[in-house]
Amino acid sequence: MDAGSGECDVAVVGAGFAGLAAARVLARNGVDVVVLEARDRVGGRSWTHTTPMGFTVDRGGQWIGPTQHRLQALADEMAVPTFPTYTSGEAVEWRDGVRHRYAGLIPTSDHSAAAEAVSAILELDLAAQEVPLDAPWDSEGAAELDTRSLGAWLDEHVEAPGARSMVDVAVKAVFGAEPPEMSLLFSLFYLHAGGGLSNLVRTTGGAQERRFAGGSQQLAVAMATELGERVVCSVPVEAVDYAADHVVLTGHRRDEEATGAGGEWALRCERAIVAMPPMLAALIDWSPPLPDPRDRLARGMPMGAVTKVHAFYARPFWREDGLNGQLVSDSGALRSTFDDSPPDGSHGAIVGFIAGDDCRVFDSRGPEARHHAVVSELERAFGPDAARPLEVVEQHWPAEPFTRGGPVAYCVPGTLSQAGPALRRPVGPIHWAGTETATEWCGYLDGALSSGERAATEVLEALGAG
Amino acid sequence: MADRQEIAEAYSQWRATSNANQRLRKMVRGWDRVIHFRTTDTQEGFTMSVHDQLLSELVFGLEGQPDVIVTGTSEDFCDMFWGDLNPSEKYMSGEITLAGSQQDVMRIDAISMVAFLDR
Repeated sequence: MDAGSGECDVAVVGAGFAGLAAARVLARNGVDVVVLEARDRVGGRSWTHTTPMGFTVDRGGQWIGPTQHRLQALADEMAVPTFPTYTSGEAVEWRDGVRHRYAGLIPTSDHSAAAEAVSAILELDLAAQEVPLDAPWDSEGAAELDTRSLGAWLDEHVEAPGARSMVDVAVKAVFGAEPPEMSLLFSLFYLHAGGGLSNLVRTTGGAQERRFAGGSQQLAVAMATELGERVVCSVPVEAVDYAADHVVLTGHRRDEEATGAGGEWALRCERAIVAMPPMLAALIDWSPPLPDPRDRLARGMPMGAVTKVHAFYARPFWREDGLNGQLVSDSGALRSTFDDSPPDGSHGAIVGFIAGDDCRVFDSRGPEARHHAVVSELERAFGPDAARPLEVVEQHWPAEPFTRGGPVAYCVPGTLSQAGPALRRPVGPIHWAGTETATEWCGYLDGALSSGERAATEVLEALGAG
Repeated sequence: MADRQEIAEAYSQWRATSNANQRLRKMVRGWDRVIHFRTTDTQEGFTMSVHDQLLSELVFGLEGQPDVIVTGTSEDFCDMFWGDLNPSEKYMSGEITLAGSQQDVMRIDAISMVAFLDR
């Protein structure tokens, strides 16, 4: 799209996995579609980057697990190979200031606490199975479940502090939020959509089972390449005027190609798909204003808080000590890590997450303090060699202007039962996509793909082109 | 490789411990199921069931329609029943596999972990 004015059948706002998947479906059905992306890149919360020292790093979503069939099909179609996350050997548990080694899924320094944690996670996962994926607001007792937080449920069901700490670490890693912040109803829905908390924290057999050789963003790049000039980057949508039969999107170009009066542009179309989290969609100036439930979603679905950290080393030295690079910690910045080395082990990499309140706390302390904390925690977990990383790369998602957090938006109590149906319900000619609208693998790349395909199908039906 | 006698002795111990564990009994409340164990090394099969929150005695041979099928080596089953083996380690490595509905697999995965941790 040139700076100035343009027209098309359908505009897609956001060139993440959801928006690109939607656009592919539309384009393949002969619809004139334009994808508008605010950033100067495609991929959304998938962002593969080459560091100054030449290491490839996935700054955002990077894993694929069993039952993520759409994502696997896309990888197969684009000939992007996957490889298993390194899991051979033992993991490290840091608890009460003491380092332990353990094998298997759950830290075992305190057997009783671990057993209580496993029992609680099972109870949570079984309760999650009762929440319907397509309409969690129709669950039995939905209003009651939605008045409570996940934290309140855990307060009632997990007594031992050690057990609670284990569950909290898992929750923070999955949601980027603290249990008391999240609606119980939303938490149960989200866990059901991903096969349960026990599945979401797993490597082998779970959500972190495999990685993409060369990074996950290449899937988005491949989709964008197929779409060609239909994808336009550096064009944040600032305002949307809509009526029953048309949508006009306007904004200013952000890149050096901006021409004319400040790079102003406008795009007129019949329908639009907005493929971004509700909170970000609400930052657009809507005319007429969106209906009340959308405002509630915007207020009640904040983004999680996560800083993703990669530390690079000359070799994956922890493997020589029989360790698999996984850490679970009850304190500090990094509460969980994984081996993120390339498949050939040609260099070593550890990826870790600073999530929830830890993300906010360490953000307030500044990058130097955060860097020091990360390196010292890696050293205490994996030994003195970890104290000398060749390079450390941080991705602080709350500071990313067109994402504002991660890994996903979550519902605070009272949101899903009251405003949930508005997540996918079109508003006139406006349709909604994004992983937050998915009914399977919500919050993941696979959910983003299915949400885009679902929104595109809605549009095709509306256009009579399906 | 473990023979029938060794597996029976180990299971007997596991059953007694599990049936006396209140946490485990709570975890299997309302979960009456038939579980088949299949050994990959000795090509044998045996059956246990959960009924009224209690584990049954072990029956050699595959009896009834299974809700869950657990596959592994006789040695690993023996070690698991003695409490010497963390089952989640074997699940993660793929050396022990579980087949069944998502809920049943989820349940037996957690139950076997708790049986190990609470031994």
